[in-house]
Amino acid sequence: MFSSLWVVIDSHFYGFLKATGVTLQLTAVSLALAVLIGLVFAFFKLSRNPVANLVANAYIGIVRGTPLIVLLMFLYFGISSIVLLSSFWAGSLALAIHAGAYVAEIFRGAIQSIDHGQHEAARSLGMSRRTAMRLIILPQSFRRAIPPLGNQFIIGLKDSSLVAFLGVSEIYSTAMTAAAANFLPFETYLVAGLYYLVLVLIFTVLVHKLEIKLAPDRRAAT
Amino acid sequence: MNVIETRSLNKHFGDLHVLKGADLTVAEGEVVAIIGPSGSGKSTLLRCLNFLEIPDEGSQVLLDGEPIDPQHDDLNKVRERMGMVFQHFHLFPHKNVINNITIAPENVKGVPRSEAKAKARDLLEKVGLPDKEKAWPSQLSGGQKQRVAIARALAMDPEIMLFDEVTSALDPELVAEVLQVVKDLAAGGMTMVMVTHEMGFAREVADRVIMMDEGMIIEEGEPSEFFTNPSEERTQAFLSQVLHA
Repeated sequence: MFSSLWVVIDSHFYGFLKATGVTLQLTAVSLALAVLIGLVFAFFKLSRNPVANLVANAYIGIVRGTPLIVLLMFLYFGISSIVLLSSFWAGSLALAIHAGAYVAEIFRGAIQSIDHGQHEAARSLGMSRRTAMRLIILPQSFRRAIPPLGNQFIIGLKDSSLVAFLGVSEIYSTAMTAAAANFLPFETYLVAGLYYLVLVLIFTVLVHKLEIKLAPDRRAAT
Repeated sequence: MNVIETRSLNKHFGDLHVLKGADLTVAEGEVVAIIGPSGSGKSTLLRCLNFLEIPDEGSQVLLDGEPIDPQHDDLNKVRERMGMVFQHFHLFPHKNVINNITIAPENVKGVPRSEAKAKARDLLEKVGLPDKEKAWPSQLSGGQKQRVAIARALAMDPEIMLFDEVTSALDPELVAEVLQVVKDLAAGGMTMVMVTHEMGFAREVADRVIMMDEGMIIEEGEPSEFFTNPSEERTQAFLSQVLHA
């Protein structure tokens, strides 16, 4: 088994390396978009405007209530019937729309978790609602959102494997193709799993570093 | 000249009638202490002065003789002119001490960074924390936090300072350092309204003491008279409770 495992690692090294690049691009693009979408819908949810609330609740409800693979196919065929998009961009967009709903809830929770006294202190100093949000509430919320966001990012990285079914040559689709050719599916999927595992571990370390960087007071205290 | 004045100030929280027509005047340079049992509306009265709570319609709050209309006036501009210090400090935990103090002058008034910093250092000196400018709020004791909070409010050059039970959350041994700062401010001529449970302090520093109960100002007077010879029965009962606790 070890020799066949080595054969898979060795013979598909460049294929998986290239695929890793694609997986990372998919993840980076979709999560960057998801953060933007999440931020907008978090504000919609916190807004005092009932229409904004309704839009946010509908979006989050639909996304959370449907499997990602269904959403992915639905959006892929939906999007590509309107505009011509490569499967990479259609996939990234679909992943972003999916993750955006969860990110919205993470941001909303983080913003709401900030003690109301922070807002009052800012307002008592003459800050407008907007300035208080920008300078006082949001920076603290981002800090608080990092651990759940990191978690969501890891989920997003792994969810990107589903884009294989749109024909994007990322890690999982590379594994499918390789396994069909080398008749070593067990070893091949094991290797694919290892690639994901290593990526997630690297990511976990990065998130932890970011968490420390964004908590200057705790850094100074320890 | 009255810095602040309220006329028939009313405030409801839902069905709860918290303030029932409070009339308060504070003259320039005057130090007014508000005392009374919990739930009597002291803090709400204070918070109505800078519109952290919006008074019911028909209530009037005048700043320097000018009536303020919470519907149409820019309340941010109004709040700039009043400093407030809270029971639980509410320092900004993501900013170090000096930036806690400079953030409002810089971003609200547009004071240049160097100028805001110089002023913040003066204020830190004043509250006895010249060596803490780079510290984080989480590294300070309660008394130090509260002194930074006072400096933060003063950095906006307020015409009046509002203190909302600023020593109630402190360990007993840290109360004195905060009261000393408040006392220095009073001696410097700052106009102040403070809700307090420190009767000894109110007696020593205040020019006038106000007793509130059930949303109304029931008695006020000059401290020596007020504490030795209160005329209202409820004041007598309250004072005997807190003074002999």
